[in-house]
Amino acid sequence: MPPAAETKLGYTPPDGGWGWAVVFGAFISIGFSYAFPKSLTVFFKEIQAYFSVSYSEIAWVSSVMLATMYAAGPVSSILVNRYGSRPVVMVGGLMVSAGMVLASFGTSIIHLYLCVGVIGGLGLAFNLQPSLAIVGTYFHVKRPLANGLAMTGSPVVLFTLAPLNQFLFDCFGWRGSFLILGAIVLNCCVAGALMRPVNKSVKPQPKTETPPAVSEEDSAQSSDLQIEENQTESRCQGCVQRFIDFSLFKHRGFLIYLSGNVVMFFGLFAPVVFLAPYARHQGIDEYSSAFLLSIFALVDMFVRPLTGLLGNTKWIRPRIQYFFSFAVLFNGVCHLLCPLAQGYAGLVLYTVFFGMAFGMLCALLFEVLMDLIGAQHFSSAVGLVTIIECGPVLLGPPISGALVDAFGDYKYMFYACGVILTACGIYFFVMHFYNYKKLDEERKQSLAAERRTSEEAVKLKMSPDDKAAYEAEG
Amino acid sequence: MSASWGKLFFQLVLLLASCGHINTKTPSPTSPSLDPISPLPSDIRRVVLKGESHTEKVELLNPVDLALECIWSGNENKSPNITGYWRKDGEEMQSIRVTVQLENDKYTLRQVFKIVSKENLGSYSCSFGDEAKVDFLLAGPQIGEVRDKPIVSYVGDSVVVKCKMDEKKPKPVSWNWYRANGTDKEQIFYAAEPQKYEIKNHEWATKLVVHKLTEGDSGFYYCEGVYAVSTTMGHVELKVITFLEPLKPFIAIIVEVIVLVAAILIYEKSQSKKNSAGGNETNADQTNTPTPGDNNGPEESSSTRQRKA
Repeated sequence: MPPAAETKLGYTPPDGGWGWAVVFGAFISIGFSYAFPKSLTVFFKEIQAYFSVSYSEIAWVSSVMLATMYAAGPVSSILVNRYGSRPVVMVGGLMVSAGMVLASFGTSIIHLYLCVGVIGGLGLAFNLQPSLAIVGTYFHVKRPLANGLAMTGSPVVLFTLAPLNQFLFDCFGWRGSFLILGAIVLNCCVAGALMRPVNKSVKPQPKTETPPAVSEEDSAQSSDLQIEENQTESRCQGCVQRFIDFSLFKHRGFLIYLSGNVVMFFGLFAPVVFLAPYARHQGIDEYSSAFLLSIFALVDMFVRPLTGLLGNTKWIRPRIQYFFSFAVLFNGVCHLLCPLAQGYAGLVLYTVFFGMAFGMLCALLFEVLMDLIGAQHFSSAVGLVTIIECGPVLLGPPISGALVDAFGDYKYMFYACGVILTACGIYFFVMHFYNYKKLDEERKQSLAAERRTSEEAVKLKMSPDDKAAYEAEG
Repeated sequence: MSASWGKLFFQLVLLLASCGHINTKTPSPTSPSLDPISPLPSDIRRVVLKGESHTEKVELLNPVDLALECIWSGNENKSPNITGYWRKDGEEMQSIRVTVQLENDKYTLRQVFKIVSKENLGSYSCSFGDEAKVDFLLAGPQIGEVRDKPIVSYVGDSVVVKCKMDEKKPKPVSWNWYRANGTDKEQIFYAAEPQKYEIKNHEWATKLVVHKLTEGDSGFYYCEGVYAVSTTMGHVELKVITFLEPLKPFIAIIVEVIVLVAAILIYEKSQSKKNSAGGNETNADQTNTPTPGDNNGPEESSSTRQRKA
């Protein structure tokens, strides 16, 4: 739940101003993080011929990059907690650049795994987590919109990189392209330069000025976390903030998010990977099949900011977890209905709806985590979440591929993904209904407790004054 | 060329002498393979001409007795007889000029050609007078996958040039590679320069690996798939460039990044100076020292919480 900025963060997030420049920086960083591994597939055919390896061996380059990006989440979180977002993003940009430049001189496939996969993946991890974290520090009221805009980076950069990579490949071959991509990815450093640490000296405003819908659940959850934090701080003064906050595993909202997401990721990316092959299997030509992916990216691009805007409205913001559950359910239903799509028109319709569903889900993915955890703990939370999600993200497409090979038909894979996502959507609805109820109860309890403590404080204040009055008299 | 013409002529004379038919040709479904010496398989290509001309592609791999048949429904004035003749590669085959009779409202021209070597391939045309024509293009199968854009590689590096035949079509007996030398093609012999060239043949594909590239290696490379009677040719262009080529955009982009980062940081410094000039010292401390600032942030708020609790 978003903590009341006043009680938890100790400052008022700007909700604008330089924040929009930070959102633009996050847009670039997140865009490169998600789109870069996918866009490298353009080069695979020639690299495969050059090194005389099989396609699966070359596809490992992308997988290693993605795996390292997710697995290095906690490392990224520790560094952000210690040094802030800006240095980490700039170092990340330098690392990816160095990885690509080294890879352009590569002499073996192992060389590529290490340079592009490990070093590149690490650099991208240092871009992803800090970008997400810093958006949370700059925005509170307009945070869903800011998150939606930042996440739009992924389809936009992918849409730009895919034809750019093809152009570079035609002009310079794969080695020259890797060199130039190393320079292009250095723009993440520019994005990092934009990520000025937020000014925390602005005094918190009185509670009455904040939108009431937002502050009610905030104070309940924040008090819950406050108690936990005080306990941990008494054990280790300040070192929790410097490293990973493992107390998150006792957090109810975090556990709901984590458990649902781990299952959800198994079925989330596979349909994207298999969309074009499924179209070709239906007898559609290669160009039109590839065009489906372009439609998907275009719809995704527009839906993400719109979702952010919707999430910001006063009807949805207080219950944004339900909006996220709806998005997951929408994805599931789309996939379940996909085998009914007939011909190219049917597939285009499916792609449009899938693009909408996927965009909604991705725009809200980190917003709901911030909503549950609060911006303070977000960097630790996202690090833990990404390393645990690493498994399903990597295993999802190969398992789906195995399903397709086993049955010889794509529809079972779509059914499986649809069932997983629908089940997760329903799980989220139920669990968040329970969570909101609990939060309302806790809020009532904490309000009652605050009234009691403020009454006691008034009584305590009275006694030293009386004492002073006696001394003065005596 | 003339030797094979002579051979063909001789065979035709034999054929004609043995069967005795010269002028009238009837549309017969079976091919009268009256030459007892040839054990070749036979094949037929029949074209019913609609309009004035037509082109038919015929893919041939192995030696065959190929019967080419042209059927034409004639034009407005259907004369009872019309001269039918055959051309090979534009040159008329005088010996087999015949007069075709109108039968069942159609004219039919039919000829069996023995295809045993590369010279027998080419363009065969049957003509009805000067009015109707069918071209048969006899050639080997088309190469399946060839890259239409040039392959780019670097000086000192090695490159793999690949030619692939469609796996649905039969696989070639062998592969040859040629390098364009002016207008000629020079064959690349594996044994001649083993340090430079390497040819790896698979069933439907062939790879030419060129090591230690120099700029002189740029140009067209031709892969030739050899079948029993035909060959098929594909070409790929290779472009060899030095590392300086991609280095130029690389440096340009790096300069752009440095300029932008410097501009952003300078702008930030000037903003914070304005704030400190305005007299707000705490703000200046916060923005001037970003790294310890972030560090102190959580600690400050934790201390405030402790005070509150």
